[in-house]
Amino acid sequence: MAPTRDKFTIHSKAVVCQDVDMKGDITIGSGTIVHPKATIFAASGPIIIGSGCIIEEGAIILNRRKEVMRIGDDNLFEIGCRVECPMGNFNTVCTRARVHFTTRLSSYCVIGAGCLVVATDEEILDEFTVIYGPAAERRVWSGQGRIQEADLRRKHAEYLREMLPKFNRLRRGDGV
Amino acid sequence: MSPTLEYYCPCQSSTPHPPQPNLPSSSYSFHALHNLYFCEECDAIRCNHCVMVEVSGYYCPNCLFEVPSASVRAEKNRCRSCARNCFMCPCCSNTLTVVPSDPPDDGDGRPPPIISATGEPPFFLYCNHCRWDSAEVGITFEKPTGLAAQLQKFEDSAPEALEFERLKEHFEPYLRASPSTSGHGLGHSHSTHINPITAAASSALARDIPGVARYTPHISARSRSGRDKNSNRHEVPDYRARVEIGSTGLNLGGGAESDVDFVRHLETVEEMATLEQRWGNSWIISPRASDLKPVRIPLHSKKSKRCPSCRHILIKPEQKAQSVRYKIKLVAANYLPAISISLPHMQAALAMLRRSGRAGAEPQDGTMLAGKTYPFHLSFTNPLYDPIQVRLHVQRALPPTSPNAPPDAEKARRPPFAVTLPSAAFPIAAFAEAWEYDDDEDMFGIDDDDFDGRGGGGAGRDARGKSRTVGVLERRANVTVVGGEVMISKEARGDVKFNMLVSYTYRSDDPDPADELGTPSRTQAQNRQPEMKTFSFYTVVDLGTIIVRDASGNDTE
Repeated sequence: MAPTRDKFTIHSKAVVCQDVDMKGDITIGSGTIVHPKATIFAASGPIIIGSGCIIEEGAIILNRRKEVMRIGDDNLFEIGCRVECPMGNFNTVCTRARVHFTTRLSSYCVIGAGCLVVATDEEILDEFTVIYGPAAERRVWSGQGRIQEADLRRKHAEYLREMLPKFNRLRRGDGV
Repeated sequence: MSPTLEYYCPCQSSTPHPPQPNLPSSSYSFHALHNLYFCEECDAIRCNHCVMVEVSGYYCPNCLFEVPSASVRAEKNRCRSCARNCFMCPCCSNTLTVVPSDPPDDGDGRPPPIISATGEPPFFLYCNHCRWDSAEVGITFEKPTGLAAQLQKFEDSAPEALEFERLKEHFEPYLRASPSTSGHGLGHSHSTHINPITAAASSALARDIPGVARYTPHISARSRSGRDKNSNRHEVPDYRARVEIGSTGLNLGGGAESDVDFVRHLETVEEMATLEQRWGNSWIISPRASDLKPVRIPLHSKKSKRCPSCRHILIKPEQKAQSVRYKIKLVAANYLPAISISLPHMQAALAMLRRSGRAGAEPQDGTMLAGKTYPFHLSFTNPLYDPIQVRLHVQRALPPTSPNAPPDAEKARRPPFAVTLPSAAFPIAAFAEAWEYDDDEDMFGIDDDDFDGRGGGGAGRDARGKSRTVGVLERRANVTVVGGEVMISKEARGDVKFNMLVSYTYRSDDPDPADELGTPSRTQAQNRQPEMKTFSFYTVVDLGTIIVRDASGNDTE
């Protein structure tokens, strides 16, 4: 793996804390929040994170592949999760969950706390897939309460945008 | 596979001596110290097999609401459920929450700017974990409160519930006609303890099962009253079910044709509800996963335990569901010295492994080989506020075994190993709270020293003399460590497991000679002014399995 040059493009409205470990070519969209102690590694290909995402402490986002890893809007990465795959919008990866690079999330998927998702061959999770429980069982969410959850997600991000800069130094992109 | 030590409760046998430890059934008589109780009145150890258990209160594990026992009973088939809004997800058994439905989506993906705080009806139950919601099975609510009452309508109109009601109605006249005075009949004659509590319990049992004829085995052998009952029974007209079992073709789960059909057309395993998901239901429910209904959370109970012979309470929790404390707690750990056992050679082997970085490997050096001698350490911790003197005995004179196994008995009488324990009594200092605090650092220091001594210089210890391995090795605070030795014979097989009698002498607080007469296990030493008493109890020590070395094994066989 040839080490790529570090190139961080951070939107002016994104909140990325100083104490974030970043490597490679990373683009962070507007309104996205990256807590301290998170890790974003674009090991080979670049990572593009959309707007309104929340990346909590200890979360690891890693791109092992050559192609661009695109993460959509309004995704939530909870504490200590590890994601190596691209995804759509409004996904939730719960605490200490792990998603392997062979999987792709579409939208509105939920990976439950501590679940390990390893697909043997390439797999794209359908919309509204919920993975939960110790055996990583799957079911399809009816989508009821989706709008309320989206509303809550936005309020969550809004609060963090207000509070995090008060207690943390922020990181700016290369261009700024 | 560390060595273990368990305490004996004599409730299973008629003799005070424990069964031989190599018998498989003996494990029922030995318990870990934290599972045992101690009855002060009887001066005896009590275990969970012999105590009398009674329910002291019901509560919902979710909202911690204490449900009065009267309403638990009155709620009939719903008695095991919380009357409030606590529901369990049928899919993952998480707690469900009540949520309002989404505002109408205007199609462009953006929600309307204001979502009202109260939410809009219909409300439904929603699982935060697996995202199951009750709208999937068609259960929605007009208002977010009193869900149980709203759901009750569904439950009451279920065909099973209606059938059960009808059955009860049908048998009502028969139940009223049968004499209610038969409460002291055979329901609890198998119980050896007939006291007000068991009598009340059994009569409550008898009262609580309407529609079930009381079991009276020798009813025909009885005279007039029995025949009267019999004739009463014959007067009951035949019951006709509202719906025939076979005709419930639409309902799944009854084991009928439709079930077979359903299973035959399964495409994925997920369509089938798992056993865990269906287990807690009162009625047979559909095996289809998409048909699962929210379950009301079953109540939990707090139980108190009584001594079987004197009926004094041994342990009683506080009434409040939020509290985890006990009103009365006579646990054996507060009365008997806590004994832990360790094999120094095994620890040395483990330490060596850890140092060489192979922590996961099997400690070959730590196993016990036939034909060798191993020291072991017994560490005694005194829970009493007075110092005690402890004396140890190995149970040598084993009670005669049953005559139907003569070859085994002969072998068992002479165990293939010899245990040496310090024969003299040794003291353990009193327990003092202060030690809990200021000795922590010292203890670590001692442990480290010990560990190094054992790990690094096993040979050095040997060189210093064998006398050090048996006897008191260490005394600190209320802990005394004594050493023992086990000599394993060449042709030994199986486990190194022996019974050990521990007797300790302590200063009695309440000199009560009248009480003394009835207690055989306690003897009195009259010669000293502060009265000394002795309490003895048996333990089983399991040091581990003997490994037969291949070479020696070939030699002997």
